[in-house]
Amino acid sequence: MDYIKEKTPPIREERLGACMAFGGSCCDISNQSKKGCLFNNNRTFSQSQGCQLTLSLAILNTIRDSVIIVHSPIGCGANLVAQAGVSKGYQKLRDPNAFGLRWINTNLDEVDVINGGEEKLRSAILYADREYRPSAIIVMNSCVPALIGDDIDTLIEELQQQVAARIVPVHCEGFKTRIQATAYDAVYHGILRTLVGIEEEEADPVIIDELEELKKRYRISRTVNVLNVSSMSRSDEQGLVKLLQSLDLNVRILPCYAHPDDFEDSFEAALNVSICATHDDYFVEHMKSKYGVPFILRTIPIGIANTNKWLLDIARFFGMEEQAQKLIDSEVRELNQALAPYRQFLQGKTAFLGGGEIRIITTAELLHSLGMEVLGLRGFHFDRYGEGLLEELMAEIPESEKAIINIGTGQPFEQANLLSRYKPDVFVGHPGGNGWANKQGIPVFPLFGQAYDYMGYVGVYEVARRLTRTLKNTSYSQNLVKHVRLPYRQDWYAEDPFAYIKQDLAL
Amino acid sequence: MSKFVERPRYVCSLGGAVGTIKVLPRTVPILHAATGCGGNVATALNQAAGYMGSGYCAGQALPSTNTSEREIVFGGEERLSEQIANTIKLVDGDLYFVITGCMVDMIGDNIHNSIKQFNGGKARVIGAETGGFRGNYYKGYEIVLKTLFQDFVEKNPAKDKGLVNLWGVVPIQDVFWKGNLTLIKDLLVKLGYRVNTFFGEGETLEDLQNSAAAALNIVVSDTFGVEAAQVFEEVHSVPYITVPFPIGDHGSQRFLRAIGNALGIEKAFVEKVIKEEQARYYSYFERIADVYSDLDLQRYAVVVGDSNYTQALARFLADDLGWLPGLAVVTDFLDDEQKDTVRGQFNGYESGIEAEVVFDTDASNVGKYIARHWGQSRGQRYFEGFNPGFILGSAIDRDIAEKLGVPQLTVTYPISNRVVLDRGYAGYSGALRLTEDILSVLVGNR
Ligand code: SF4
Repeated sequence: MDYIKEKTPPIREERLGACMAFGGSCCDISNQSKKGCLFNNNRTFSQSQGCQLTLSLAILNTIRDSVIIVHSPIGCGANLVAQAGVSKGYQKLRDPNAFGLRWINTNLDEVDVINGGEEKLRSAILYADREYRPSAIIVMNSCVPALIGDDIDTLIEELQQQVAARIVPVHCEGFKTRIQATAYDAVYHGILRTLVGIEEEEADPVIIDELEELKKRYRISRTVNVLNVSSMSRSDEQGLVKLLQSLDLNVRILPCYAHPDDFEDSFEAALNVSICATHDDYFVEHMKSKYGVPFILRTIPIGIANTNKWLLDIARFFGMEEQAQKLIDSEVRELNQALAPYRQFLQGKTAFLGGGEIRIITTAELLHSLGMEVLGLRGFHFDRYGEGLLEELMAEIPESEKAIINIGTGQPFEQANLLSRYKPDVFVGHPGGNGWANKQGIPVFPLFGQAYDYMGYVGVYEVARRLTRTLKNTSYSQNLVKHVRLPYRQDWYAEDPFAYIKQDLAL
Repeated sequence: MSKFVERPRYVCSLGGAVGTIKVLPRTVPILHAATGCGGNVATALNQAAGYMGSGYCAGQALPSTNTSEREIVFGGEERLSEQIANTIKLVDGDLYFVITGCMVDMIGDNIHNSIKQFNGGKARVIGAETGGFRGNYYKGYEIVLKTLFQDFVEKNPAKDKGLVNLWGVVPIQDVFWKGNLTLIKDLLVKLGYRVNTFFGEGETLEDLQNSAAAALNIVVSDTFGVEAAQVFEEVHSVPYITVPFPIGDHGSQRFLRAIGNALGIEKAFVEKVIKEEQARYYSYFERIADVYSDLDLQRYAVVVGDSNYTQALARFLADDLGWLPGLAVVTDFLDDEQKDTVRGQFNGYESGIEAEVVFDTDASNVGKYIARHWGQSRGQRYFEGFNPGFILGSAIDRDIAEKLGVPQLTVTYPISNRVVLDRGYAGYSGALRLTEDILSVLVGNR
């Protein structure tokens, strides 16, 4: 893969042929996806979703010692106003001196729409540098400047000569794609172009200390980059680091909550380990083609089976399978003992899941391993990475072929219809759309949370424990369903939940 | 020319429109905007607004055309018509309100072509252009009100002397709007009036539709909703007055007298109402006498926020609570004339206190104004300074409070560190809530 010379990355509709609207069984989607006939369908009724700009912030608002400039009218990036406290708290977990979130909006108005907004961006960049002296200034380009033709790259090139901070352009114009996850490519594109390997050409010292050089090479040969996601907790992160340390590996955590300088020598690693292909494929592919760093992208360490796979894949790369297997055996033995009472409670309970493809498929496996039945899944989008994981799930749990799967970002009207039809004991959903399920009388377990454990062996225990707690008292949702109603007309619940999905191209 | 904003305390006009429509009874917003605009403002209208929730049909449920490159190139009117038709089919509402985002406005889609097709149908569909480059949240509020008054409120030449309409308390951007509207309405009811607030408790769309019968429109703001009042007057011949948002005894007295004046209420009756309110108010307010004096709870204070709140908070602090609110930072987009009006609201304090009023949209500057006003300690032995200080502002202003080591209460938008349900700060009862909240911060560690 090599898009890095371009100013902007391609969109995922094109790069991955990702699908945005689907309704059917897991078996159907898998077959269609394998045949390559899963198209980027549309809806004749749709509900709002975020854009790549809003999702880009999920990574960018974690980057320490930086200032975010949203180049747009005053509203884009609005969610930052709700994030400041949260982001600061989590940054401080990594660095007690972290400043937290600092951002500027260029406030394009009616005049700028006609005359262009470059001058406002210029003044914002100069202000950010002067006022805060940050390590990085991240410039996010939005729809309006793209339409009026602001040339932010040329401006940034010019200003880079004048300011101390690295300026990182991120092209995340919302209208360009409906696949929000394109955001991750936009962010990594900016990082790869401006933060990775920038100091590379430093003159070699005249006398090369051979011993030092050897030591360094050895260190690199034992270093893995673990690519985190901002939706995971610090303790999840620490848990994974501990697992890898027990294989005698050095671990570097990127990109979330990293300092801009942490990216600089990130290519000095033996292996890139992703925990979410939706998040990282663009980055790891480029690190491979540009710096020759191999990668592992198969699965996320959620649930026993996938944690085992994740760990074994890494161990195999370093020729340490045996050691890893021993570790796995002892971890799993201890975990299974601890899980026994929860399994008893959760046995036979039903669940419906919603969220990103990687998380929902692996969490489905986790719930199944606790004795629960998964009735259906709702994925934000679906691409080849979901296809691979679903294949493995159906191979391991044959009855999951029948489970219903609905693809759509948000679209809670389809969710409402499905939940009223399937009436699961619990909805395991992506934060943002969970309240709707609650109002239908269905208790909710969030699919992820920055304050809780979900990953590795500890994560399995924690999910089992908290899920049990959730189901021990469901009065809140029971009360809501008696007194609140969702906005949809009654006859919607009798209709085909996928009635508003329009096949874009004839099959 | 406008400039960039450092940590803005508002979303765009589109967000303001969504926020305003989202809390109007039985009204369903339909967004004709680029893919992300709806989701982009969703958290700001929920988690940054005291966890206000998604509402009836907003948040992720907000109907939206999710316009992308194809419609930007070929036009999106057809898609909008399809979206309106299907929204009416799926979502139960009495009024459907189409609003637009930047991209749609810039490519020149005409939403009224689509809206026209639904004329005469069972459902009422209206719409307005609200693209974010037009301004901030307040602009969206203004546009929505204007559109409602023009296209939804029914003409009625007959006026009802006992009925008034009231707005200017901006839903969601004033996170306590619902409580505030209830509290202000209660005051007017005591004066003997029936009141439409459109967004408050127990309001209906029908009341809004029939609001042209009102004798007077009361805009509880000198900045927000004034243009809409002018439109109302032009279309429905209902005059309006603007009065500052009241918090506490001194603010509320002025408020009640201004309303009494405008409505021609007998002075003695207004004074009687004030007396009754004061009796109740001070019966609680006196309770803090012991703690106030034992612990010396008088503070220097800074108020940061919009033009409605800053003047009301400063007057309450100075004239009711006896504090020293030396500095007010007003964070709105205002023109020079508006700034003069706003400045005027910080005058005439009973206590004789004068606050320095500055207009600045940038969060980092708050600290600089504090340093300028109270001086900066250079470690000297004898130093006046902002001490003991207190900051009443937004969640954003926690940073400066933390840096200066002074307590802070979040009362202006964004409010992400408190959950707000029916609490309000307006009038007499509201000021008691505010007193509880402020002093609770000061005794919070005991
Ligand atoms: S879709 Fe465009 S205009 Fe809307 S929030 Fe995203 S970047 Fe801003």
